[in-house]
Amino acid sequence: MSAVDKPIAGHVDDSHGDPNASYLEAKHGIGPWLYTLDHKRIGLMYLVMISLAFLAGGIFALLVRLELFTRGKTIIDAETYNKFFTLHGAIMVFLFIIPSIPAGLGNFFLPIMVGAKDVAFPRLNMWSFYIYLIGAVISLASIVIGSVDTGWTFYTPYSTTTATAVASMTFGVFVLGFSSILTGLNFIVTVHTMRGPGITWRRLPLFVWGMYSTALIQVLATPVLAITVALLMMERVFGLGIFNPKLGGDPVLFQHFFWFYSHPAVYIMIVPGMAIISEVLATFTRRPIVGYFAGAMSSLSLALLGFLVWGHHMFTAGMSEFSTMLFSALTFLVAIPSGVKVFNWTATLYKGEVWFTTPMLYALSFIFLFSIGGLTGLFLGTLSVDVHLHDTYFVVAHFHYVMMGGTVMGFLAGMFYWWPKMTGKLYNETPAKVGWFLVFVGFNVTFIAQFIMGSRGMPRRYYDYLPQFEPFHKASTIGSWILGLGLIIEAVTLLSSLKNGKKSPPNPWGSAGYEWQTATPPLLFNFKEIPVRTRGPYDYHLATPEDLYDGFPEGEPHGD
Amino acid sequence: MKLAMLAPTSFQLPEAMSSFAPTIDDLYMKIYWLSVVFFVAIVGAMVYFAVKYRKRAGHKAEAATHSVFMDRLEVFWTVAPIFILLPLFHEGFRGYMDLSVAPADSIEIRVRGAQWRWEFEYPNGESDNVLHVPVNKNVKLIMSSEDVLHAFFVPEFRVKKDLVPGMYSSVWFRPTVTGEADLFCAEYCGGKSKDNTGAELPPAQFNGHWSMISKVKIDTPEAFDKYLDNMAPVGPLEERGRALYLKKACVGCHTIDGSKGVAPTWKGVFGKSHKMADGTDAVMDENYVRESILNPNAKIVAGYTAPSVMPTYQGTLKEKEIDAIIAFMKSLKE
Amino acid sequence: MATETGHASAEHPEHQEHPHFLQHHFETPAQQYDASKLGMWVFIATEILMFGGLFVAYLIYHAQEPELFKLAHHALDKKLGALNTVVLLFSSLTAALAVRSAQLGKRNRTSAFLVVTLLCAAAFLVVKYFEYSHKIHAGLLPGRCFGHPGFANCIGDAGLATQPLAVSVQEHGMLLQLPTRANMFFALYFMMTGLHGVHVLVGMSLLTWVLIKNIKGHFSPEYFTHVDLSALYWHLVDLVWIYLFPLLYLVS
Repeated sequence: MSAVDKPIAGHVDDSHGDPNASYLEAKHGIGPWLYTLDHKRIGLMYLVMISLAFLAGGIFALLVRLELFTRGKTIIDAETYNKFFTLHGAIMVFLFIIPSIPAGLGNFFLPIMVGAKDVAFPRLNMWSFYIYLIGAVISLASIVIGSVDTGWTFYTPYSTTTATAVASMTFGVFVLGFSSILTGLNFIVTVHTMRGPGITWRRLPLFVWGMYSTALIQVLATPVLAITVALLMMERVFGLGIFNPKLGGDPVLFQHFFWFYSHPAVYIMIVPGMAIISEVLATFTRRPIVGYFAGAMSSLSLALLGFLVWGHHMFTAGMSEFSTMLFSALTFLVAIPSGVKVFNWTATLYKGEVWFTTPMLYALSFIFLFSIGGLTGLFLGTLSVDVHLHDTYFVVAHFHYVMMGGTVMGFLAGMFYWWPKMTGKLYNETPAKVGWFLVFVGFNVTFIAQFIMGSRGMPRRYYDYLPQFEPFHKASTIGSWILGLGLIIEAVTLLSSLKNGKKSPPNPWGSAGYEWQTATPPLLFNFKEIPVRTRGPYDYHLATPEDLYDGFPEGEPHGD
Repeated sequence: MKLAMLAPTSFQLPEAMSSFAPTIDDLYMKIYWLSVVFFVAIVGAMVYFAVKYRKRAGHKAEAATHSVFMDRLEVFWTVAPIFILLPLFHEGFRGYMDLSVAPADSIEIRVRGAQWRWEFEYPNGESDNVLHVPVNKNVKLIMSSEDVLHAFFVPEFRVKKDLVPGMYSSVWFRPTVTGEADLFCAEYCGGKSKDNTGAELPPAQFNGHWSMISKVKIDTPEAFDKYLDNMAPVGPLEERGRALYLKKACVGCHTIDGSKGVAPTWKGVFGKSHKMADGTDAVMDENYVRESILNPNAKIVAGYTAPSVMPTYQGTLKEKEIDAIIAFMKSLKE
Repeated sequence: MATETGHASAEHPEHQEHPHFLQHHFETPAQQYDASKLGMWVFIATEILMFGGLFVAYLIYHAQEPELFKLAHHALDKKLGALNTVVLLFSSLTAALAVRSAQLGKRNRTSAFLVVTLLCAAAFLVVKYFEYSHKIHAGLLPGRCFGHPGFANCIGDAGLATQPLAVSVQEHGMLLQLPTRANMFFALYFMMTGLHGVHVLVGMSLLTWVLIKNIKGHFSPEYFTHVDLSALYWHLVDLVWIYLFPLLYLVS
């Protein structure tokens, strides 16, 4: 312990708070939250907005599933159904998953992990949040002015001819893109220039590697989405013609542009989830992640490969045989870094000390569900099989296994894992585990049913369906209720801890991770003095007992 | 095979009715069993390790040491998957090439997709909205879209291809058994459940992506020939008009029993004067009907909001077909 | 609590000095400068990818109808395009000179170079304005406006029913007959030069902001990051035009 009481000098607004108080208590009132430059407060505000977006997207998902419970009309008419599944997709993708881990948890923990007082550009970080809010308002305003019924992919020419509020939604997406770019830019620069003493590239936590890879995709892919939706807006407002076949334009070019962003965006979504799993597994096995370097490089190669496989969304759209072959071959390559990650995680458990906390249960379910998501990707990468499965519920189930079974499980693992760190409160393990069980079971019921009906030929985005698919739709809808109930329990568990939770010791999990070696909740400037790291974040054999002290009386660690 | 009993092909995939189906199903099941093996291995190892090394009194994590064995294992599982993935890629690509290249002796059928109907035009120039194909003959579909993206999908044939406005796409198959299969639109193309005034239609009149479904009827060659022969227009003009009324999806909006639909009824309107949306009066004669078919926005009956949702039938209906529809309308007296 | 072990300050003696321009979350001026510079380079990368989308669209449609593009490009004024190229290249030079004089601490010269750069940028926009208005009056605005001189026929409710038409343009004494399909060339022309124009405006605001800071004496030979970065951005604006000019004005 080498507490130096001298405050760190500062020259921006945030310096006026007490640097020895936690970031939550350093300043009071609503104002310091609204114009804060502190990455932790910004991260927390992001988490609040993101959770609201998740709630909204989830409600639309449940309504869509409920409509499909019976054939014909169940609760809503067809046009409303088309709008709801579009909103579900657009909200979940653009307002929830893409910012979830990077802008929320990443913002909070990346600077702490790299030993910096803040991200490189705190003001840009604040702007990123407000741009996100503006983007959210613009895109959601579309609901009021007629909503959108194009599907979240906005395929032309339907999106240029439908009477719904596509321009508002796409303009919102355009704005949200800038928010995402600013976050990515901040992370890249922070990782390159702000690492504290002793934090070499080889000692960078895998979470930071994941955020760094994600940031690269964010800054390189998002501008292409921006120009694509800008062209789409021009198409709607002026009838520009670039995607209009009647004026010599090519509607398929839109798909190329769209997926050039949106496929890498899949890795913006999943790589951060994987990054959290690495952190959680190391802590709850008391073992370094097997193949640290391979793990870091697999994140980077996923980011790179993500740019080369967009065409696999268009195998039936009429590309040349040559490009189809190329995209299929490159798609198979994605299996290699994904496989490396899964094998390494599993091997990390070997000879570890596996502690079944809620975050660990989510991490283990991630491996379970992501394996299914990844392996079903093999079906879709195989050209001739994909022709049959493309645009069916098989694809829907596949990407939900990756996006929800992967990213959302990672997000929930991260929320439970870092909840004590962020809030200073312990949540109650028992309801959290009950919630986990319902989420895990509900998720599998919902989407396994969709795999089967998909391979049997049920096309996606159908308001009504033929009688042979009815049992599967029924099962899937019932699964969605279990899943929804589980998520509600988790939300209540976390929120109630804010009021009733016990105060958390600094390192309740006894982790060797860098972020746990600081005050809980973190201080205003993260550290009293920038720490010098002398070991890696997973080096349990080098960590002192003091590093790993969980702060609970002997024999009754938290949660057992 | 005993394993196959656990998850029979027939549970995961629809009936195989084309020459592609057996090869694709075979590859599908190969990937399926490969996935099962990997999944059981990964999750099995995960559960086994998690339980065996669970946190408990007297058990501590073993300190990590650098091991050459682990290094080798890592290299192994980085490199080994390539040897599994390569054959998969190769077999998938070969199958895809088979799907792409239609044999020269294929029967060509012209397919037009539009919101939200299918039209199949046979070599004899006649068309239908149900696809009839002969068994054991190669069939090539030349497809185009009149508005937005659609996709031709017959699960039983394992074929799917997008219909892109502004270009032709094609797909081929050889049905191997006689019978009937479902035909879907697999590319989202919108939908409509409200009329132009914003009032909700009865659910039976909802139209959209999900209702752009039809049937494929796989006939014996004799039955197929007979079907083609019977399509040739015979019988009174108004009967052909009635057939077109059903086939060309006029039925979706225009009623023939006098009830109000999305569009004016056809019953008892021919030859009479009607109030138009712009305040003028117009007589529904031959020229009026012809103009409305080719340019639906030219005149709109009062009470129906402009612009009309009706697509133009320019290029879709032949002159004699327009004549038949007019004859049919004339026959619908009050 | 097992926290901060060791003193970063021991390794960073200059940390204690804390020059006035150093933000609190940076340890050294060098770190702050590196971060800002890298940030701008990353941002430039995103800009290039944004234009990249339009360049790809151009290449694809040009490859589909090279003859049509060749025909349509005659409607652009090569002389004005070339003039603008020279103006922008010169402004890039003066921007670089502004950085050099800021580095040497010559405040008035920095201001002078920044003003010249801004004047060049304004001249570029004036030329662009004349080019645009000429095209708009000739009915070359893309989309529904194509073939309809001015805005009146194609904006608002009336515009929704307007269809693009073939156009005849009188250019350099030559009568150009452009089919409706030529809309594609002008759609790309207006999108690419329009997006570039927006960047010129953003660059001008940046340079003006830096000019004001410079006049107020915010910069010194130790700290001139903003001059450096806005000049870097201005070079990007110039670079994009260097590609746009031959692609649009000199189609072969």
